[in-house]
Amino acid sequence: MAEKILTRNFHLPGSHTLVLYRETGGYAGLEKAFAMKPAEITEEVKKSNLRGLGGAGFPTGVKWGFLPQGHPGPVYLVINADEGEPGTFKDRYLLERDPHALIEGMIISAYAIGAHLAFVYIRGEYVQPWRIFGRAVAEAYEAGLLGKNIRGSGFDLDVIVHRGAGAYICGEETGLISSLEGKKGWPKLKPPFPAIRGAFGAPTIVNNVETICHVPHIMNRGAAWFAGLGTKSQGGTRMYSVSGHVTRPGVYELPVSATLRSLIYEHAGGIPGGRRLKAVVPGGSSAVLLTADEIDVTLDVDGLKNAGTMAGSAGVIVMDETVSIPEALMVVARFYAHESCGQCTPCRESTGWIYKMARRIVEGKGRKEDLDTILDVARRGAGTTICAFFDGAVGPYISYIEKFRHEFEALIRK
Amino acid sequence: MVRLTIDGKEIEVAEGTNIIEAARRLGIEVPHYCYHPGLSVAGQCRLCMVELGNNPRPQIGCNTQVAEGMVVRTDTPKVLEVRQSIMEFHLINHPLDCPVCDQAGECWLQIYYMKHGLYEPRMVDEKVHKPKAVPLGPHVMLDAERCILCSRCVRFCDEVTGTGELGIFDRGDRSEIGLFPGRELANPYSANVIDICPVGALTDRDFRFAVRVWYLDTAKSICPGCSRGCNIDVHYNIRRPHHNQGRRVARLKPRFNAEVNRWWICDAGRYGYRFVDDPSRLGAPARGRGDAAQEVGWEEIIPLVTAQLRRYRPDEIGVVASPKMANEDFFLLRRLVDHLGLIHVDFRVPPRTPGDEDRILIKADKNPNTRGAELIGLGPRPGGLDARGMLRAARDRRIKCLWVFHHDLQASAWPAAEVGDALRAVECFIYQGSNSNGVSAAAHYVLPSAAWVERDGTFTNFEGRVQRFWKAVEPLGLSLADWEILGRLGAALGLGPEPASAEACFKALAASAAPFAGLSYRELRDTGKVLSA
Amino acid sequence: MNARGAVRVEFTPEQLAEVRRLQGLYPDRRAALLPVLQLAQEAFGHISLEAEEYVAGLFDLSPAHVHEVVTFYTLFFREPKGRHVISVCHNLTCHLLGAQQVLAHLKERLGVEVGGTTPDGRVTLLGVECLCACEMAPMLQVDDRYEGNLTREKVDWILEGLA
Ligand SMILES: Cc1cc2nc3c(=O)[nH]c(=O)nc-3n(C[C@H](O)[C@H](O)[C@H](O)COP(=O)(O)O)c2cc1C
Ligand code: SF4
Ligand code: SF4
Ligand code: FES
Ligand code: FES
Repeated sequence: MAEKILTRNFHLPGSHTLVLYRETGGYAGLEKAFAMKPAEITEEVKKSNLRGLGGAGFPTGVKWGFLPQGHPGPVYLVINADEGEPGTFKDRYLLERDPHALIEGMIISAYAIGAHLAFVYIRGEYVQPWRIFGRAVAEAYEAGLLGKNIRGSGFDLDVIVHRGAGAYICGEETGLISSLEGKKGWPKLKPPFPAIRGAFGAPTIVNNVETICHVPHIMNRGAAWFAGLGTKSQGGTRMYSVSGHVTRPGVYELPVSATLRSLIYEHAGGIPGGRRLKAVVPGGSSAVLLTADEIDVTLDVDGLKNAGTMAGSAGVIVMDETVSIPEALMVVARFYAHESCGQCTPCRESTGWIYKMARRIVEGKGRKEDLDTILDVARRGAGTTICAFFDGAVGPYISYIEKFRHEFEALIRK
Repeated sequence: MVRLTIDGKEIEVAEGTNIIEAARRLGIEVPHYCYHPGLSVAGQCRLCMVELGNNPRPQIGCNTQVAEGMVVRTDTPKVLEVRQSIMEFHLINHPLDCPVCDQAGECWLQIYYMKHGLYEPRMVDEKVHKPKAVPLGPHVMLDAERCILCSRCVRFCDEVTGTGELGIFDRGDRSEIGLFPGRELANPYSANVIDICPVGALTDRDFRFAVRVWYLDTAKSICPGCSRGCNIDVHYNIRRPHHNQGRRVARLKPRFNAEVNRWWICDAGRYGYRFVDDPSRLGAPARGRGDAAQEVGWEEIIPLVTAQLRRYRPDEIGVVASPKMANEDFFLLRRLVDHLGLIHVDFRVPPRTPGDEDRILIKADKNPNTRGAELIGLGPRPGGLDARGMLRAARDRRIKCLWVFHHDLQASAWPAAEVGDALRAVECFIYQGSNSNGVSAAAHYVLPSAAWVERDGTFTNFEGRVQRFWKAVEPLGLSLADWEILGRLGAALGLGPEPASAEACFKALAASAAPFAGLSYRELRDTGKVLSA
Repeated sequence: MNARGAVRVEFTPEQLAEVRRLQGLYPDRRAALLPVLQLAQEAFGHISLEAEEYVAGLFDLSPAHVHEVVTFYTLFFREPKGRHVISVCHNLTCHLLGAQQVLAHLKERLGVEVGGTTPDGRVTLLGVECLCACEMAPMLQVDDRYEGNLTREKVDWILEGLA
């Protein structure tokens, strides 16, 4: 079995404490980082092929490189702990079981990008994770790991832990920024991108919890080691959240070169009750659905992209043969209708409309035209919106119907 | 400057211009709802899509700034298809109640649907229901189902007035425009949201169902409500005289002037036109007070008034002009005053309650032409009395003939008794104005003036900008523009033939008053000119 | 404090001090709006219109802008809620593994519809989107706590624990 990096301490009692974190080699990466120039860290992260693990899969070092050079005002680091993508729960584990990994990663990342204030935006429902993480931050302050002149480095960093209030869209980085600013979580127009004009108008880097947790290890063991764990275009391991019809649902840390089949059948123990696999959502509910015979794909960003879907947040939802795909679509469509921020017209209007159609189909009141209307509305709306939320909804809308059209038609004929 | 091509046509525009504006310069319309040049860019309606270079995904024009060498297409099949889709999205939850909607005829949902929509309706599910016919404040009515959530009204209240009354509440397709429960939309500029609302969601409570917009004609004008001189359009109805209770002026709308009022006007100005079609209008010249009052024709009144002006010594006559009069009027009045050698001339009458003022448009001076009166020299002369001095002199019977233009002296800051005493004591009181008021009944001679929408003219605003206004409707009854009345009186007094038009008066003004030198109506164009001095 | 009915909408001096601290913490004081609304909800039980106006006053914001925020987020309660809130996840994984049965059982046990509060003010029952604990589906949140791998028995046990 491959080496665990992010989850290596998860089984240890007290894994959330500073003492244990230190005992298991924590904060060694920080020492190394402080010995480097900020630009060298960014370079190292680029070379590691670390890609964002929040959903978009954007190369982390490249993103950091977008910050304006020699910016006179403040620069902010924002940690996206708004985990909300259905099927995903890895960040919750990290916050609860290894909060100091995130803190160390934040210090290094902030140092690299020149930020002296970092925000951790935790979804409001995560009360336990927020408490545990908050305690870890307090511990870090007491130990001189946060605040002024961190460990004699001359580098200052303050951390503000901010709680969301119930809105999936606040996981989208600019929706998150709006929310952090005390507003509705309406995503912002791009350009300008956050790296140029983000939180409070200042250049801002938004990264996912898991992404940042990798940074200390990259410092510790080098970019080459990290890159070597993965594929050509994506380094490292990543945490797969597996749920649904599997014997052992949970979080699995695997190199991104692992296959979806091995994740489901080897790690998660396969489908219970000897039932057959019907479909898999490979990267959170916004990913295109894969059928049972499409799971021999690697789990890296490009592998899943080539398979016509996406790695997304690595939330893997497994559906066995008993599942009604039309019902699944109705549930997913309800989610998107409920969570659309309502700001832009195509998304606001069609998420509601598509949910109504999907529900009607499940209720046995579907019309022949409905399926093509859903497909057409989804396709026409795709790519026209302010943020990627709607494109995320389009993935399931289209793939559920295209790949399981017969199930829908059967309901409509009834 | 930046050069780019739009639909194959080259154009050079200033850096920072967006594609909607650049295209507009070429006469190409990029349909849009949420973008408004006076507000921040929101990018919400997604209608303004254009294709940029080789980018396979259409982009919104409102949030795309021009760049050197950019190649924009607004007419590709892809753009047209996206537009059509977006129109459908805008309409699926719309109640489609156009036959009973007051916005019909000026609704951008209708207009763009005809141009860019035209799909087969395929939404059969229950629409989202929202509140209808909700009064938001004294002027604005909301139909939330018709709202396309473009947020223009919200941004107006946030960015222009800074009052923030409106919000979009809830989210998804439950998103709803509204006020904080229990509050009102009653800021001094509230009705501008009606103008910028692209659909029939926000309508004018005053105008609702008064006249269908297709019966309206438009004349360019200047708001007479204060010394800002906001540019406006007068919408008037003479095609359906039985509509709107016979009122000819249906509404005033702001007219863009980058240097004066941009896109906005205040509510006081917008609704300040009611006096035009009001029963208090003076419809005919009249002589005699109280029961003896008798309407007469102009041929009769002019010689009577001239006789009075000749009867008194120049220092027994007082003239109180009004800063509501036009530059043309002032010019003829000045000529007449000089000709008669009058010394008691003024135009300032302080109001009882001082006017409100803000940093947006509203000026404390509620007169459109104080500056014009000053520049043309209708203030007190050396040795002459000011307006209040004239009243006192009238009471003491030193002034025997008082000629008051427009002012309701009873509404002034001066004690009513002082005004009453003066008017009772004076031998000859001439009142010239458009409407009867607290003093007009005391007049021995009434000269009825046309309202500003019934004539041509110019006002000079507080910063010395001379701006034209155009005649929209005929003078009511026998009333005449002040310059015409003054022209007739002047002719009768031997000042030569009466001028043929307001323009002729202005020409003569420009030839004789230094600050106006070189100006002409042509020169003033639609948006006026600032006097150099 | 959590009781239903009228609670005075005014922070204590200690709470006000916390408001000031939060307002000073961020680069822009408006950023403290969510935390302060969370505080208001704790203090007053729910966020009434009166509370929105009160908070708007603390931030020099228009009440409409506070109302926008309160109506946008699901964790702000605009009506009095029960002493306990049970939020049953009904998103995909939980749906696959029996969320509907969990909801049906709770509705029956509590005698309320989804969105309702028991007449004694004990429990408010909600259906919510993915709480990101799908590994323990079907699951719910009861107040601050996540409970997963739900069965009828486990749901009954959870209910018994609620005062
Ligand atoms: C609708 C939507 C929801 C998202 N939710 C999350 C989320 O819950 N957590 C997250 O880290 N990123 C989420 N993202 C991705 C973020 O926008 C952003 O790409 C990410 O936080 C960047 O961090 P990374 O580069 O480290 O992945 C979401 C994106 C969209 C469009
Ligand atoms: S795509 Fe949807 S979620 Fe994103 S900004 Fe538009 S309305 Fe909001
Ligand atoms: S009321 Fe009119 S201006 Fe306001 S958001 Fe709706 S459509 Fe736009
Ligand atoms: S005008 Fe550009 S998105 Fe609305
Ligand atoms: S689907 Fe219920 S917790 Fe994710």
